[in-house]
Amino acid sequence: MNADFSNGEVMNKNAQVIIDIKNLRKNFGSLEVLKGIDLQINKGEKVAIIGPSGSGKSTCLRCINQMETSSFGEIYFENDLITDCDPYLHDGIIRLSKTFNRLMNSGLDENCAIEKIKKERLLKKGEGRAFKLAKKEFEKNNKIDVNVARRKIGMVFQHFNLFNNLTVLQNLTLAPVLLKIKTKEDAEEKAVELLKRIGLEDKANVYPSTLSGGQKQRVAIIRALAMEPDVMLFDEPTSALDPEMVGEVLELMKDLANEGMTMVVVTHEMGFAREVASRIVFMNEGIIAEENNPEEFFTNPKNERLKEFLSKVL
Amino acid sequence: MTEWEKFVKQFITLGGYKRVLDGLLATIEIAVFGLIIGIIIGTLIGIVKVMPKNNIFVKIIDKIFTVYVAFFRGTPMVVQLLLGHFIVLPLMKINVDAVIEAIVIFGMNSGAYVSEIMRGGINSVDKGQLEAGRAVGLGYWTAMFKIVIPQSIKNILPTLGNEFISLIKETSVVSFIAVTDLTRAFRQLGDATYSYLVPYLMLAAIYLVLVLLISWGVKAMERRFKKNER
Repeated sequence: MNADFSNGEVMNKNAQVIIDIKNLRKNFGSLEVLKGIDLQINKGEKVAIIGPSGSGKSTCLRCINQMETSSFGEIYFENDLITDCDPYLHDGIIRLSKTFNRLMNSGLDENCAIEKIKKERLLKKGEGRAFKLAKKEFEKNNKIDVNVARRKIGMVFQHFNLFNNLTVLQNLTLAPVLLKIKTKEDAEEKAVELLKRIGLEDKANVYPSTLSGGQKQRVAIIRALAMEPDVMLFDEPTSALDPEMVGEVLELMKDLANEGMTMVVVTHEMGFAREVASRIVFMNEGIIAEENNPEEFFTNPKNERLKEFLSKVL
Repeated sequence: MTEWEKFVKQFITLGGYKRVLDGLLATIEIAVFGLIIGIIIGTLIGIVKVMPKNNIFVKIIDKIFTVYVAFFRGTPMVVQLLLGHFIVLPLMKINVDAVIEAIVIFGMNSGAYVSEIMRGGINSVDKGQLEAGRAVGLGYWTAMFKIVIPQSIKNILPTLGNEFISLIKETSVVSFIAVTDLTRAFRQLGDATYSYLVPYLMLAAIYLVLVLLISWGVKAMERRFKKNER
């Protein structure tokens, strides 16, 4: 199960799982926004994350590509660790900690000591050299540069965030060219092709400030596509749009979904979630309160808070 | 001889204009290269100031820059020139042309001011811009230089123009380290004839023209930037 390097086990390489979130926690100061999220996203899945505001859904999404650095827990992208090693997930590393030794000396048995440490989150800063080395070793073996992972994780923001100092075409070619993924010519060819797809090829050389909200968001989506990502994250992509522009953006997202793109979408568009998502995750107060397929999720919700939420939004 | 005739004689017949031209050149050199160095230093400091301070290395650099800015903003330009010319350079046994000395010291001084301007400029750019850059896999510095800084430059252009104007005017103190700039050239013209009225009026007029030219240039650049985004 858990990759526990100290047992000499190798990570169970599973090509199906694109994103694996383990016990993700995020604090802003003393405010705990995420209180332990476990979520696996498989290739081709379309996961919609919904929930009341302040439930941590955007933070959770932003942790996936580490736009928000997580406080605890681990996130794997295509089986590579992109966060720091979280010792609480590795019994073998906990065993090397001073706290563990102290508990053992006080007469607890091994399993109890580990349970206690995990439950009461007892690990502190100075847990000794062996502990630190083990963490480092684990990261050395599993962790990759988050910038490399981000190339394969497309992200679409609520407020589009097109690069205002660049033309539409340059927005699409900047990253592929700078990161030497494509030559300038190839990147431009691909960009024009993508622009044609959304019917904005005539806007290639204008600046984003001249586009409508819907156009901006569609360009933002193909900017992510220009990197040929393996998964796309959408952070409330239609929340900042005029109502009449929501449709064109959702259409494009549906097309992507139909082509088999793996998608994680934080959204308030229940219709879209119902129609497109293969799985819906309901977050409330920093935890996943319920997750299910759309059919069950909407017709037969179990969680009380979810029932209340659905009664308000549907 | 009238004041004017004295001046003309000194200026043209006795070749005073050569000195004035050299002085003008020195003034412009010091201000322009000083500003360039200032922008480079200021950008670097500005970026470090807004960087997330999540490692010890950044924290230390940040502290050093804080002291740097405090020193260069907290002491007069003349004092910095004197310290550089009479203390630091002799101690380091460096012997360079006084104009180069002045350029470096003006650049370092300007860097302190530009860093604050730059910090404001960077903060004026929506943080979503940096995020979007990072989200496609660009590193912090690449995203900064390709996306955030170009946008902040546009925002701070008027303030940067002001900095250039102050720099031009402040160069008038470089005679303290024996650089012949515009001011010193005209003072020497006056000294030679004991008649200061025309040289000093002329001096003021030239500074004024320089400053007006810069303001005009900055306005033109602003217009160009604006047009670029339509």
